[in-house]
Amino acid sequence: MYRYDEFDAAFVRERTAQFSDQVNRRLTGELNEDQFRPLRLMNGLYLQLHAYMLRVAVPYGTLSGRQMRKLAHIARTYDRGYGHFTTRQNIQFNWPRLKDVPEILAELASVEMHAIQTSGNCIRNVTTDQFAGAAADEIIDPRPVAEIIRQWSSLHPEFSYLPRKFKIAITGAPADRAAIRFHDIGLQAATNAAGDVGWEVWVGGGLGRTPMIGKMINGFVPNEHLLAYLESILRVYNRYGRRDNKYKARIKILVHEEGLETIKAQVEAEFSEVRGGVLTLPQEELDRIGSYFAPPSFEDLPATPIDIARETILDPAYGRWLDNNIFSHYRPGYASVTISLKPIGGAPGDATDAQMEAVADLAERYSFDELRVSHEQNLVLPHVRVADLRAVYDGLVEAGLAEGNAGLITDMIACPGLDFCALANARSIPIAQAISHKFAAPERQAEIGDLKIKISGCINACGHHHVGHIGILGVEKKGTELYQITLGGDGTEHASVGKILGPGFVADAVPDAIERLVDVYLGRRETPDEPFIATVRRLGDAPFKEALYGTT
Amino acid sequence: MTAASKIAAAPVAQDKLRALGIMALNGMFDEMDALGVLRQAATELLAGDIAIVSSFGADSAVLLHLVAQVDPSMPVFFLETGKHFPETLAYVETLKRQLGLINVTALHPDPADLARFDPDGTLWETDPDSCCHIRKTEPLEPITEQFGGWVTGRKRFQTRERGVLPHFELTSDDRIKINPLAYFSDADVNAYKAEHGLPEHPLYAVGYKSIGCAPCTSIVAEGEDPRAGRWRGLNKKECGIHFDFNGAIAKPMAATAELKLFKDGAFTADPFRAWAEGDDPASVRYTHVPLPEFLAARDAFLANPHPLGLLVSSGDKVENVEGDLSRFASIAVRFPAFTDGRGYSTGRLLSERLGYGGELRAVGDVLQDQIPLMRRCGFNAFVVEHEPTRKALREGRLPEVSIFYQPVGTTEVPLGTRPYLRRAAPATR
Ligand code: SF4
Ligand code: SF4
Repeated sequence: MYRYDEFDAAFVRERTAQFSDQVNRRLTGELNEDQFRPLRLMNGLYLQLHAYMLRVAVPYGTLSGRQMRKLAHIARTYDRGYGHFTTRQNIQFNWPRLKDVPEILAELASVEMHAIQTSGNCIRNVTTDQFAGAAADEIIDPRPVAEIIRQWSSLHPEFSYLPRKFKIAITGAPADRAAIRFHDIGLQAATNAAGDVGWEVWVGGGLGRTPMIGKMINGFVPNEHLLAYLESILRVYNRYGRRDNKYKARIKILVHEEGLETIKAQVEAEFSEVRGGVLTLPQEELDRIGSYFAPPSFEDLPATPIDIARETILDPAYGRWLDNNIFSHYRPGYASVTISLKPIGGAPGDATDAQMEAVADLAERYSFDELRVSHEQNLVLPHVRVADLRAVYDGLVEAGLAEGNAGLITDMIACPGLDFCALANARSIPIAQAISHKFAAPERQAEIGDLKIKISGCINACGHHHVGHIGILGVEKKGTELYQITLGGDGTEHASVGKILGPGFVADAVPDAIERLVDVYLGRRETPDEPFIATVRRLGDAPFKEALYGTT
Repeated sequence: MTAASKIAAAPVAQDKLRALGIMALNGMFDEMDALGVLRQAATELLAGDIAIVSSFGADSAVLLHLVAQVDPSMPVFFLETGKHFPETLAYVETLKRQLGLINVTALHPDPADLARFDPDGTLWETDPDSCCHIRKTEPLEPITEQFGGWVTGRKRFQTRERGVLPHFELTSDDRIKINPLAYFSDADVNAYKAEHGLPEHPLYAVGYKSIGCAPCTSIVAEGEDPRAGRWRGLNKKECGIHFDFNGAIAKPMAATAELKLFKDGAFTADPFRAWAEGDDPASVRYTHVPLPEFLAARDAFLANPHPLGLLVSSGDKVENVEGDLSRFASIAVRFPAFTDGRGYSTGRLLSERLGYGGELRAVGDVLQDQIPLMRRCGFNAFVVEHEPTRKALREGRLPEVSIFYQPVGTTEVPLGTRPYLRRAAPATR
């Protein structure tokens, strides 16, 4: 994985010093909150319901054991003993004190981490496929390009005060596990006629109050010109994006209002000016960065089949874990392991300091010291020998992280909601917990199969409810928290936005409502292999609506 | 070298050629041949199109003596600022008589300006730039337009800033400056005076070495830079009139107002003002004209001979004035709120793509945390309303990250370890 050189280290050091100065000016009152807000937001520091929240960047979701230990240390020392992994592959600490923040940043810097641009109207942390560099279906490892984008976008002087935040996601595989069509810019590896690998560029996707699926603005941009192309898009957005209304300020609105063709013409005109200029990325640079992401020293192993059926008989929990939490690796004899942060009844994405330490141990021992954070709020050990799976599982059992539910109905995404978030209309974590209890029985989960439930506490959609197969949105009506249910969302390459089925439910009624939807599916699916989303697509909303609201 | 008298009217495209001609002239005269230089200028290069502004100070006599030898009818202008020592005024008369100069004109400040900006005659104390502006720059301005060349008495040795000074210079507004004494030292001046029996300025003997207006001149200590006596303690080295004729010349402003324009590492008086309702496109000067106003009366603005600025607001497209950018001595880009980042793109377009090289100033909500970013985007001047920010700038304390990942701007020397930063932009730029 990427290692800082002196330049990166000096950069983060200076940025930490700069932010410490800003914090001090706030503490002494030289800056008022209005002036401090955009500055702290540039550095991932939010003011939440109860306290400051610090969001730490995990660039493209890749971590080493040492870094994970540092996060554990921070959770223990400056917070209440846990951290929360987010849908943008970052980690949040919910209880730091303002005066401790410079110290936390210095601690992070010591392990090559920072909070730069994890918030604010700038280019945010680039996200990617959690199985990047390991997945069997990958065309190219997207992380070197993600790292280059990270560098290019870090404290970019022109794009630090954009109309709104700006998110870029990149994937090197045809199966989109990074939801690139729901980002301001999505990049998907593509091959041109000559067989060169470049990037399909999607623009104007996003969730929030106006969910939109990105549109393809360019079918093939070679590596060499990618930064110039990104800069062109950003410049058009910076100049022409709406600034009169924060709810209409994302690039998706610009693309929607002006039309893809207009924006494309502006971007291409800009591109023709900057193309071939200083942003041209030489192959040597790509190679140099790429060498940091060279595959670890894999052993030559025979393909090792896993007999899940047999293991299930011997140890059902282990069998379930194998069935759901293992992802195929491009090297024979290896597998990627998803560590679920969705224990039954737990808060999605939370991990304690002890759990972080345990995961760091496992990564060091069994996964070439590599870890990933997934946008579904789980952790991943990307490179585990099949022969070591049992040992990893046992380690996870000990840490309380062995839930074998990856991709199942209890593997939910939920935003922090009213428990932490100042913007929330409703709770989301307790809803997730209640649903999780309802479907706790492993056999039941296995029977249902792949089903993504995503929960947001308000219209800002941090819980990605629009792309949940079932989405749950907290709204407030006349002082009570209600939950609207959407159906049919999909964040992958078959992107779609879920549709609201009808009036909201009170919190207590939500788990039952979900159960009714699931029952429709179980009753109407053509075969046990037809996944929930396929049944929904085939049948449309009607039977589900009826199950919720009766026939009227 | 005889055809050069068309110089003042030549089109811009020939700038280079002309500059080269001037360079060539610089090699033609012996360093000390002041008379030869002046004669070349007055009789060939700029016959009938040359004049001199003299301060009638301590060492003006030498230059005026040279002028008298070449052409006693050459126009000599004296800035009668109203602030001179009586001894200086007497000295004007002495030199006129003794050297036989027959075309000396005194230029007086506009009484209306004095009444408005310096009613009690103390402006020099609070704002010498503005004082010089109304007493020197303004009276001189209509005169400078009438001549293609000017003789100056500047010498290389006088201050550090003048270490290199050629005999002939081309100013940025296409005029020629003749510096016959460029290579003269203090001793040379004295020797010349002695040799030709030139009268001394009455105050020279009592310790005044460089003499300007009375309030702004003090006695120079032994061994001190002779011009150190001017504007002592006021952090002002040059009088506006020695700048290029369209250069940065101060404009009167309220004496008590704090300086807000930060440029070249210091707060300085701002010669520019904002566009006001009813301003006349044909005659405004030192004004930042809003881009839409400029486009609405483009011809009048282009015919206006005065220095002008341009104001670019957030929604304006600078591409629309692409061809006219060289018209502006200053471009102000407005940041209506520091969170509105459009101005950064504007700055880069102006400085990087459209090749604008003049003063590029950020105005509006300009705060210390954004100034480093603005600089990288091409801004070289800042109008700062926020006092803590002014304080930080005065103290040189900007919260800055000094190394960059991405290449931005025209001057960033890529350093560190980012190889793609080191690649020069292709030559086609
Ligand atoms: S979706 Fe709303 S409630 Fe949830 S974290 Fe985002 S802003 Fe807060
Ligand atoms: S030299 Fe002094 S008195 Fe004379 S015009 Fe300048 S500031 Fe005013």
